[in-house]
Amino acid sequence: MLFEFKNISYTLGNESERNIIVSGAVDRGEVLVVRGPSGAGKSTLFRILSRLQPGSGGEVFLQGKSWLYIPSIHWRINVHYLAQKPALFDGTVADNLAKPFETRVGGQRRLDKNGAKELMEQLHLPPELWNQDARTISGGEASRLAFIRALLVDPLVLLLDEPTAALDEPARQALYLVLARWLKSANRAALLISHNNDYQQLEHIKYLDIIKSPERRD
Amino acid sequence: MESSIVPISNFQLAFTFILILITGGISSFLKLGLLKSLIWGTVRTFVQLTVIGYALTYIFQINNLWLIVIIITIMCYIASRAAVKRTPNVVKYPTVLAFLSLVASTYLVGTIVTTLIISPDPWYSARIAIPIFGMILGNSMNGIALSLDRLYQEARARAFEIEAMLTFGATPWEAIQSSVREAIRAGMTPTINSLMVVGLVSLPGMMTGQILGGADPREAVRYQIVVMLMIAAAVAIGCLILVGLSYKKLFNDDGGLQSYVLSSRK
Repeated sequence: MLFEFKNISYTLGNESERNIIVSGAVDRGEVLVVRGPSGAGKSTLFRILSRLQPGSGGEVFLQGKSWLYIPSIHWRINVHYLAQKPALFDGTVADNLAKPFETRVGGQRRLDKNGAKELMEQLHLPPELWNQDARTISGGEASRLAFIRALLVDPLVLLLDEPTAALDEPARQALYLVLARWLKSANRAALLISHNNDYQQLEHIKYLDIIKSPERRD
Repeated sequence: MESSIVPISNFQLAFTFILILITGGISSFLKLGLLKSLIWGTVRTFVQLTVIGYALTYIFQINNLWLIVIIITIMCYIASRAAVKRTPNVVKYPTVLAFLSLVASTYLVGTIVTTLIISPDPWYSARIAIPIFGMILGNSMNGIALSLDRLYQEARARAFEIEAMLTFGATPWEAIQSSVREAIRAGMTPTINSLMVVGLVSLPGMMTGQILGGADPREAVRYQIVVMLMIAAAVAIGCLILVGLSYKKLFNDDGGLQSYVLSSRK
């Protein structure tokens, strides 16, 4: 199994203390769609799985190896979380795409400029955008840019938190087409949160339902 | 030109009553509610400064290296407490880190000034060391308070960018670099700015004091130059050490941002 999480538990909110325990897995080429009402803790689950915040229990395995034995710096590249709100840094679009390669670990690779430009084209982003100030681009452009950047990070597992929320219909189609191709091209899998039922063109879809339950579980 | 200090007698000092009346008059006329604070503040000013006057006389007479070290270290401790208290954006902060950075910057710069630049005999002469270290400390304290507050404020404002950097495999240090730079800049800016306007906009207290004490202004100016530059160096070192020691507090053991950085300030 490429990616597996067992009994990941966490609490939501301060007062009601809803305790959630979930397990799931994805293998090569698969997409696990995480469903549940707003506020059910889907994003929190993704943040825990990518080790941006700690949960209260459970264990995650990447290619059979527990997260206990993989340093968080490497883990976060390979189990890469793409937040719903795209993070943009000062500088041009090109600077933003190069950001993952500025760290010590990420710096072992260079930005594949041609690959990035090709992805921009596939996602209907005009080539002029390349040298534009990233703070001035539109919301829809920003979320596609962040998606491209996540692909360039080249993770094993991509955690996509509503990647199409800011996109129109053609752009959504384009994004899932690129994602489907990406999943096929190597040993990769994805987890997806989406409130629209717009991802049907993806193959090998599995579902995980997080139920909003007010009662506590042991 | 007067060549020595003009003393203020007790009788003359009593005339400061006029000054207190002016301040108090304004406060009660406008109902500022500051009268109580003013009276208490005045009493404290008289008592604290009188005590410190006698204490310094005593300390200058004894002039013992270890006594000086103890006094300066206590001053560092009080300053670190005051600095941490003055940071509204900072939560759960250990004072010991502020203390360590103040001790390091104050002793390093203070020792350079007393041994190499002023070099009295003996080099640890209390008459030189205590005012010099005190001035360094007072300014470093302001610097690190500004720096620390800005570090937390920036981390909060840029939490989103910091987390994005983490997902790219950045270490906490790499992820928070832009905030660190802003924090150190915030701490150093007032000192650097004061280098620009000193003597034009204000005559610094130390220099003014020396001139009132009967010193040749040209001599007082040389002291002031040393003081300005030592303060700049001490603030730079203090902010750097403090931020270097503090940024890790914003992250958990696994290198993720602490939840209090992500939630709104209470």
